Amino acid sequence: MTGAPRMSPDVGHAALIQAVASHADRQAFAELFRHYAPRVKAWLMRSGAAAGAAEELAQETMLMVWRKASLFDGARAGPSTWIFTIARNLRIDRIRRERHPEELMPDPADEPEEPPQADRLLSAMEREDRVRQAMGTLSAEQADVVRLAFFQDKPHSEIERDLGIPLGTVKSRLRLAMSRLRSALEDLC
Amino acid sequence: MINHHPSDATLTSYAAGTLPEALGLVTATHLSFCPACRDAVALAEAVGGSMLEDLAPVAMADDALVQVLARGDMPEPPVMTPVREAKLPGPLKYCSFGRSWLVAPGLRWRPLRTSGRAWGGLLVAQPGRRFPRHAHTGLELTCVLRGSFVDANGRYGAGDLAEPEGDHDDPPSIDSDEPCVCVIASEGFRLGGAFGLLQRMIGL
Repeated sequence: MTGAPRMSPDVGHAALIQAVASHADRQAFAELFRHYAPRVKAWLMRSGAAAGAAEELAQETMLMVWRKASLFDGARAGPSTWIFTIARNLRIDRIRRERHPEELMPDPADEPEEPPQADRLLSAMEREDRVRQAMGTLSAEQADVVRLAFFQDKPHSEIERDLGIPLGTVKSRLRLAMSRLRSALEDLC
Repeated sequence: MINHHPSDATLTSYAAGTLPEALGLVTATHLSFCPACRDAVALAEAVGGSMLEDLAPVAMADDALVQVLARGDMPEPPVMTPVREAKLPGPLKYCSFGRSWLVAPGLRWRPLRTSGRAWGGLLVAQPGRRFPRHAHTGLELTCVLRGSFVDANGRYGAGDLAEPEGDHDDPPSIDSDEPCVCVIASEGFRLGGAFGLLQRMIGL
């Protein structure tokens, strides 16, 4: 850590997750729940889940936050990124279980990973802040294709139809958007 | 050294959790070889986190917090992920496969048991063979596990991932001395030749 800690909301949320991990702090968890559960539910509904299923999966996500708090590694991912990946993995599991209940595939994200390589000088929370700022600098068109990638369980060919632009354009907009985000992060290193 | 990577579109869909299962597995296999793409996925996941923060909240049920805390007090059921294929790298270790078929001279295919709108499997091709000729209509990903092949875009060795743009009618050929083993998934392609006959026979 260099300089004074910045009081972004994420710093507070990281401390809350650590309080849950170290002494099963119910107050801290309640605060996390109030912030994240309604957002996870909103994301699931935007991704096509019915309100009931989204409620259930958002509760499941928060249950994992409670149980797995000790696995939260602030150097790897900020709080909202960590919680997003939990919700995403549960959603994938749920979809698979509905399709073939007897055969549950492992989630690739459960594989132990080596530490991420590039932005090691950058704390994950700074990265999260920075990504959020950089998202605001994308063109409206670039932001659209990024958002669609996160909200819709659709092949790119259908994104193509929805946006009324060719698949090659969808792909190249995404590439431009991601490289802009990448360079926004590199500036910090 | 990894020279061929998935597109940003594919890595972003992977991070968003929207790739069909078989395509997600091929991507995850490449990630197990490629630190640079793991970084790219971490970045896309941070985009997911930032998207989550910016969403307008949707109210939870009144008793949701109480319910979750009550469940949190109960012991957690153990989760087991059995290793089924100890010789395969990365996430493929845990996958379930059908039986292996000789689909053409020098070409063996083992289908992956996955759900969703993509299908996939392992292709084992003997030295000097060509991949089945085919055209595709959606996303198709091939990750090399062993050996190598060449196509118009260059040479693909262990860990490299091929993501062809549009139709390719110039099938890759195996240039390694050992058999080339690849994991392949596709949203839908149509094969020509003997493999295509098989594809039609088994109704893929």
